[in-house]
Amino acid sequence: MTQSNGKILLEMKGIGKTFPGVKALEGVNLTVREGQVHALLGENGAGKSTLIKILSGAYIKDEGQIFWEGQPIEIKSSQDAQRLGISTIYQEFNLAPHLSVAENIFLGHLPQKGLLVDWAYVRKRAKEILDSLGVTLSVDTLTADLSVAEQQLVEIAKALNRKTRILIMDEPSAVLGEKDLEKLFDVVRQLQANGIGIIYISHRLREIFALADEVTVLKDGRYVDTRAVSAVTMDDLVRLMIGRELADVYPKRTNKPGEMLLEVNNIQTEGLLHDISFDLRAGEIVGFAGITGSGRTELARVIFGADPYSGGEMRLSGQPYRVTSPADAIRHGVALVTEDRKRQGLLLKLSVAINTTISGLKKLSRFNVIKLNEEVGLVQKFIKQLSIKTPGPNFIVVNMSGGNQQKVVLARWLSIGTRLFILDEPTRGIDVGSKSEIYQIMADLATQGVGILMISSELPEVLGMSDRIMVMREGRIAKELTRAEANEEVVMHYAVGAAVA
Amino acid sequence: MSAGASAVTGKAGGRSSGILSVLFGSSIIGPIAALILAGAFFSTQTDRFLTGTNMSLVVQQVMVVGTLAIGQTLIILTSGIDLFIGAVMALGSIIMTSMAVDYGLHPVLAILIGFAVCMAFGLLNGALVTMIRLPPFIVTLGTLNIAFALTRIYTTQTITGLPPMLTFFGNTFKIGNTAIIYGSVLMFLLYLAAWFMLRSTPAGRYVYAVGDNPEAARLAGISTTKLLIGVYTLAAFAYAIAGLLLVARTEVGDPQAGQDSNLESITAVVLGGTSLFGGRGNIMGTLIGALIVGVFRNGLQLMGVASIYQLLITGVLVIVAVSIDQLSHRSKGT
Repeated sequence: MTQSNGKILLEMKGIGKTFPGVKALEGVNLTVREGQVHALLGENGAGKSTLIKILSGAYIKDEGQIFWEGQPIEIKSSQDAQRLGISTIYQEFNLAPHLSVAENIFLGHLPQKGLLVDWAYVRKRAKEILDSLGVTLSVDTLTADLSVAEQQLVEIAKALNRKTRILIMDEPSAVLGEKDLEKLFDVVRQLQANGIGIIYISHRLREIFALADEVTVLKDGRYVDTRAVSAVTMDDLVRLMIGRELADVYPKRTNKPGEMLLEVNNIQTEGLLHDISFDLRAGEIVGFAGITGSGRTELARVIFGADPYSGGEMRLSGQPYRVTSPADAIRHGVALVTEDRKRQGLLLKLSVAINTTISGLKKLSRFNVIKLNEEVGLVQKFIKQLSIKTPGPNFIVVNMSGGNQQKVVLARWLSIGTRLFILDEPTRGIDVGSKSEIYQIMADLATQGVGILMISSELPEVLGMSDRIMVMREGRIAKELTRAEANEEVVMHYAVGAAVA
Repeated sequence: MSAGASAVTGKAGGRSSGILSVLFGSSIIGPIAALILAGAFFSTQTDRFLTGTNMSLVVQQVMVVGTLAIGQTLIILTSGIDLFIGAVMALGSIIMTSMAVDYGLHPVLAILIGFAVCMAFGLLNGALVTMIRLPPFIVTLGTLNIAFALTRIYTTQTITGLPPMLTFFGNTFKIGNTAIIYGSVLMFLLYLAAWFMLRSTPAGRYVYAVGDNPEAARLAGISTTKLLIGVYTLAAFAYAIAGLLLVARTEVGDPQAGQDSNLESITAVVLGGTSLFGGRGNIMGTLIGALIVGVFRNGLQLMGVASIYQLLITGVLVIVAVSIDQLSHRSKGT
């Protein structure tokens, strides 16, 4: 089905984009033909989102040229992109939940007959579009009542109603189950047959082989290569995606695992997680790798008592460990440093001091009265120990840098004698300097006998910090690797579900 | 987005907003300045304003709303709002007076029953907000109507002939030539207690934490359900005390009472610099806010301004205060 001979619709050449202090894209090329599925592949932070935002008019490029059917053009706004016929389906849908399918398909440009909306035409045309996709869906249903997969189809129909010539799909499979995936593939092939060019973004290599004609790989904001899918193997793609050098920011450390700390046996949830078993010893750092949506954060929340589990059991230091709330977990000495620091970690409008001691106020109190002097002393000790940059304990954390905010979160858990740290993306959005400080704190903790479960989507971080690595995929532990066995290729293979050569 | 932006600008942005927050934020310097300015203005307008007797009168007029506003502040700090406070105060005061007068119960027992009913309503509010996750606005709008209706169903008559114990807090003592009502002393003591609780107990910290971000608070180990139910019940305790003070001041049980109290209490909280978005504010600010309203009412009255204009000026005050709060918010990037 390779459509490498279709008419060229879009050509992007040498595209570059710089944000203050960061070169997000450099020298990126992309060519899309009519009736072609062109996959865009790369790790988190490789520049895929930036590229499609330039194409859809959300960002304006700093360098390079864009050609549309051979003519040089500029895309300066989302209206420009729409006029050309470039539509984007983001992971988060843009539907009005309390309107019908037909109304959503026509959202923003309802046709009028005189003063009134021409509802007969709206319903007829909506049905035609859905039929052309091979979808049977009542146009009068409220979108809120649809499944996620059906809502996605409405998004696609909405794009088609605007005369789409290139459809950008941003990880469309991330929200779908196995069955819905087949349906999506059928629809994509249908669009392809109608001559629409498709830019398909996904981490999952299997989908790329099932669907795409060509694949362009990005890495660290740079263009790596464009290949015909029929001419590459999974190994080739993995090698193109990764294979950068390990920066020497990780502290040297010898692994001396102590007593058994956490045992997880056959944990499952009503949602994503299936049959999760692993253990973690005192003084050990176990890294959890996997793509977004593989279930790592869900697992962390279960161990921390933030979400319920439906089967299996856990033990902590050999004792049964049953948690129904974060408060329970904290009492057992378990802490979670959340992925989303601003929404789930910090009390943003409150001070460094309040954020540091909020989980340990009981111990700081006598007769239910906080010993304020002792509190200030404790906070000042941690400001010094972790070199938190702040004018003082009463400074509001919203005004601090990401690295310093993360240190405040760490100080909170250190101040109450945590023995099992769960760190979810501990260095996300943090500058390089603070990163290595946080790695050093983790290494020191492990040396002191604290157990660390680290979730990270940055492979160098996982490889650089972990004693052992668990690779998760689709809610299961796909593979356990020792430090010696692991390298970026092997981890990525298990994370995306490719067979190891 | 804007939070991220100010995180990037770092310390420079932090310092300038620090000054703003001292002036307009959780600090109470702004409200105190406003109170002093208002006092100074009225002293120049009339000789009768700045006398011990008049000051005592202002406090006495503020006492009931001031006590209600303690509960309102607690709830607003958790990013809630309470609309039912006037109605439950009226219900509480009717039950206290009716139990004592109509049923001849010992006044202490009658008071206890009144408190129990008010607090049961508070518990109900808290349970609905936490367990069924209804918005506080809806819950308290519902219980407002229920409490209001129950009061009218119970009686439409004003209850008179109260035993002296019920009006104890209406009695006065003298400092120099100025008579001071016991109830106003009680109000000040309640503010001190609430201030201490918010500042120096774990539960007080949790109130701010839950108001700032309930999910982050839960993940920090706070039992947010227990805390919120506690806050709504404690607030209702304050409303019951306000009911008792109302009875003491008016010497009757009035089923019509308290109909303006919801908005008056919110006015006091807002004038005191507490953010309606939760997590930011100071209970002493509320006391100042209540006094600002009292001073304006009293001063304008002494100047001979008609009461309808007093209301008008109070309305303008609220909008100015909230605008300042909003602007200081925006400059903080939150």
